[in-house]
Amino acid sequence: MSPIGKKTFQPALALSVAGLFALLLANTSPVLIFDVAGRIQAGYIVTGIKELFMQGYWPIAALVFVASMLAPAVYLSSVAYVSAACSMKLRLPWILQALRLSEWTEPWNLIPVYSIATVVSVVKLRMIGAVSWNDGARWVLAVALLTLFAQQVFERRLVEHRLEALGLVTNPEDA
Amino acid sequence: MPDVTDSLRVSTARALVTTGALLYIPSNVIPVMTMTVAGKTEQLTVLGGVKELWDSNLPAIAGVVFLASFVVPFLKVVALGWILWLHGTDRHQGARDSIHRIVHRIGSWSMIDIFLLSVLAAVGQLGALGSVTAQPGAIYFCGVMISCLLAAEIYKPRLIWESRSHTAP
Repeated sequence: MSPIGKKTFQPALALSVAGLFALLLANTSPVLIFDVAGRIQAGYIVTGIKELFMQGYWPIAALVFVASMLAPAVYLSSVAYVSAACSMKLRLPWILQALRLSEWTEPWNLIPVYSIATVVSVVKLRMIGAVSWNDGARWVLAVALLTLFAQQVFERRLVEHRLEALGLVTNPEDA
Repeated sequence: MPDVTDSLRVSTARALVTTGALLYIPSNVIPVMTMTVAGKTEQLTVLGGVKELWDSNLPAIAGVVFLASFVVPFLKVVALGWILWLHGTDRHQGARDSIHRIVHRIGSWSMIDIFLLSVLAAVGQLGALGSVTAQPGAIYFCGVMISCLLAAEIYKPRLIWESRSHTAP
């Protein structure tokens, strides 16, 4: 009998799905509202990327886009997909590719660092004008925490064993 | 015997760490951003930003930014350089393995300055009242960050143990 219970994969599934919802909200709500002498500007995650691109610094814009939007979305989606398959014992297509994708994108998923940068930017902006947190900042923090917890509970070794039990891999090294 | 893929991994990682070491100097000398406040423009380097926070009586935040933006990239370059220098020898294999894992874990925190630039650029577009624009130093800083991150990804910890045995203990 497999020592891996159904519940083993459920925390990763729950955290990654919650993380995806939080990421969606983090990207659709303003992170900060900045006010200097009555002139107000709201900043979304994508606003910074767009602004860097407009200034001609597209490599930086691309890096920020990958690390704060694309990699978190791909990482959380692939963890959710693999965890769902393992939890419900489903033989879903491209499961090995999804597992590899989660490994490749994990080091590039830097939303926890982004949340700290948001705190530092508030401190800096307070030197210039009035700045206030908005819902987007709370969702960024939520994504950061959910990502960190998901990374802790999503264990490749257990996934490999489950995939082996499902007959999707014969040798865990293949995964 | 190590295969071709492994030797390619080692040489690629060495090239990336060398690139990171070379880019580290301009990334700290050339300004990473320009801040305009009430018509006054100031160019900030990585350490200039830290000094500004320190001067504003925010030593804790200054400490975090100093560690993440200046110390961590430097230690990453030095640590990866040392690990790759000793590749293929039996010396300090345990220490090298531990340091590689630490570098892998904390390395991404040096991105804080780039994200800071992105957040500041997002809201700091109020013309002469308050605006933030990127400067070429940020490109070099990204280069250091990407080089070291890729080097740590390409050079797997198992390669540290290759000279004595073919598998990690």
